Amino acid sequence: MGQLFAVEVIYRGVFQKTLAKNITRDIVLAAHNEGKLGISFGRYGDAPERNGIPAKSFAIVANDELTLEAGMAQYEPKQVDLTLVLDDTLCKGGESWAWYGLQPVHHALKPGHTLIVISLEDAPTLLKSIHRREEPYKLGIMKGITSFSGMWVFKDDHTDVRVLGAIAKALPEVFSLKSVEQFINEKLKSAAKVTSARNAFERFTTVPVKAGQGNPEVPFAFEKPGWEDMRSAVSIKGQPQGGPYPDPATGKVGGFRPARNELFKKYSTRTLRPVINFSTCTKCTLCWLNCPDASFDVTPEGTYDANLEACCGCGVCEEVCPVKDCVHMVNESEFHDNKSQWEAFRNDKDAYLKWLESTIEKAEPIEKRSHGFRYRGQYAEQVPEALEIAKKG
Amino acid sequence: MSTFVDEKPTQELEAFKGVKKVPHEEYYTSGHRTCQGCESAQIMKLMAKAAGPRTIILGSTGCMYVANTSYYATPWGVPWMHTQLGSSGSAALGAAASLRVQMRKGVMKDEPINVIAFCGDGGGADMGLGAISATMCHPDYNLLILMYDNESYANTDIQISGTSPYGVNTSFSTPGKVKRIMNHRWKKNMAPLMLVGHPTVKYVGTISTSYPLQAMNSVRKALSVGGPTFIHCLNPCPKGWDFDPVLSFELGELAVNTGIWPLYEVENGKLKLYGKTEQIASGRFKRLPVRDYLLKQGRFAHFIEEDIDYFQSKIDDMWNKWLVPGIIPLQKDIETE
Repeated sequence: MGQLFAVEVIYRGVFQKTLAKNITRDIVLAAHNEGKLGISFGRYGDAPERNGIPAKSFAIVANDELTLEAGMAQYEPKQVDLTLVLDDTLCKGGESWAWYGLQPVHHALKPGHTLIVISLEDAPTLLKSIHRREEPYKLGIMKGITSFSGMWVFKDDHTDVRVLGAIAKALPEVFSLKSVEQFINEKLKSAAKVTSARNAFERFTTVPVKAGQGNPEVPFAFEKPGWEDMRSAVSIKGQPQGGPYPDPATGKVGGFRPARNELFKKYSTRTLRPVINFSTCTKCTLCWLNCPDASFDVTPEGTYDANLEACCGCGVCEEVCPVKDCVHMVNESEFHDNKSQWEAFRNDKDAYLKWLESTIEKAEPIEKRSHGFRYRGQYAEQVPEALEIAKKG
Repeated sequence: MSTFVDEKPTQELEAFKGVKKVPHEEYYTSGHRTCQGCESAQIMKLMAKAAGPRTIILGSTGCMYVANTSYYATPWGVPWMHTQLGSSGSAALGAAASLRVQMRKGVMKDEPINVIAFCGDGGGADMGLGAISATMCHPDYNLLILMYDNESYANTDIQISGTSPYGVNTSFSTPGKVKRIMNHRWKKNMAPLMLVGHPTVKYVGTISTSYPLQAMNSVRKALSVGGPTFIHCLNPCPKGWDFDPVLSFELGELAVNTGIWPLYEVENGKLKLYGKTEQIASGRFKRLPVRDYLLKQGRFAHFIEEDIDYFQSKIDDMWNKWLVPGIIPLQKDIETE
């Protein structure tokens, strides 16, 4: 048996679907230039794909047909030679559609191998989110703005070819830079893309991550219920009714917190999260009423607290809020826990408002966000900035 | 006067008198795996909230089946059962009939229980149309069929359906270099179809998730009025319509304000327009141009001016030429020979 290589690409469902599909296809085509065989495929359990969910696409490459077939017989590669993360908020881990709890982003990566993240942050910042693991590995950051587009759109900002250049450096056994260049010249026919790939190859570096280094949080896990746990007629238990809960400052019980599915949470589906100013809230109910995920708790004070177990970060609450300075959507990478904002507000109002002020400063105004299609020509406007970073690395 | 219709009492569900009067209890809570900004999930939440605890919900295949119940991912707090893609009508009728028999035989307590079957536009306007139509002809059974319409088979990655709008980009109507417009069909007018075709139906309405209070009150009325009822809800879909999820709410409003999606209810044959639609019809609000709605969505990104103009002209016809503006597509001028 020959050698089998597997690369996994972790991406945001729908927003990066075309990009991830193209990257895994291109890996196979570039490796083909060296006489290797390969196949790219999306993870079965991620379909049907939803906006924003952490999804995976794979490329497996082998020296001979028999080895490739052996690799293809697996549902998905259990161990991969390289993990590529297309959005840095995914460093907090991913939850698959077929629910296994929260998987650390490197959970399938072989010891000593490379995790590539596209980000504008540095390694210490990302390691605040990336979970600890027993085995050491290498972390490589490819500087870049997260490339988001829509269902059918491929935003041509060179992310795809830059990634190929970085992979040629990190995993030269699969393909060399020469094969990448050959692939781009023959299939994509763009000299600028060859330059972008070469730049990425030359500038790509990794830092070693030691055993035990990283986010100490224990990833959310649970015991998977089996068939025996189902009730007659293959039915499962519905969700119970919620109820009032106590105010941490006064102990007074009130408000309403809906019961929520204990097994199925949305920790990793967000790229943005709502940050709420409880002192300006007018209790108008609109965020609570219009939230598709029932993620708002009605606090004993009558304000609304986004429960971060359930929020998937769509931003509808920010949109419907009639108060100018109440709900702000802030990039998820700014946060390192999922604690209740209202409880923090009740425990120390001044400290909370100070934190709020410094946090919402980092909120990008909606006109600048890239979180899907808003108007025509938007993607074309975003490409030059991405290309500038590609040039400077 | 004798009647052979064997009616059973329904629950008395009064309209919610304002957003502050809406109960906190959720019967469709967190724990589903829908897209960011999913308005179809939002209507499920509102529908369950409006119906209350004594409700049975049946769902035909679609996003709201797959995303809500795969691998223990359930948000339902009331009994829910899956039914086949085209059979929301038969499932609703069967459930209502079975409840009646069990109550008559004393197997269960005799009380009014809401029966709701939901279907997507694929399950309702395409595949399930026959079964829904048959169900609408059975006046003895109290049930509601709610069609949540995201204008495509969104679950399986956006294939065209009978309610997909003109010219839209879907997996089955991708615009090409030679042919730009690949969907020449105009959206199926489902609520009037149910209304005109089934004269004994006591309630038919259209709703939008961007008007949550009216949507819930429409569901409550449909469940209280008795017999089979039908509601058609338009749900902006960030995945398939290709827009930033933050726009979910705004696009629902724009659909109404541009006149593309009229809001109305017909109770016992009496038509009532409501919200902005009523203001449009009475001339107090000028319809916004459809381009405001179209250009915010990636699925119309290939439209050129000509296409926008055509779309606008069809909407203008709907309001200016139809016998009942926005609803019944008969010409105003009736030929009498």
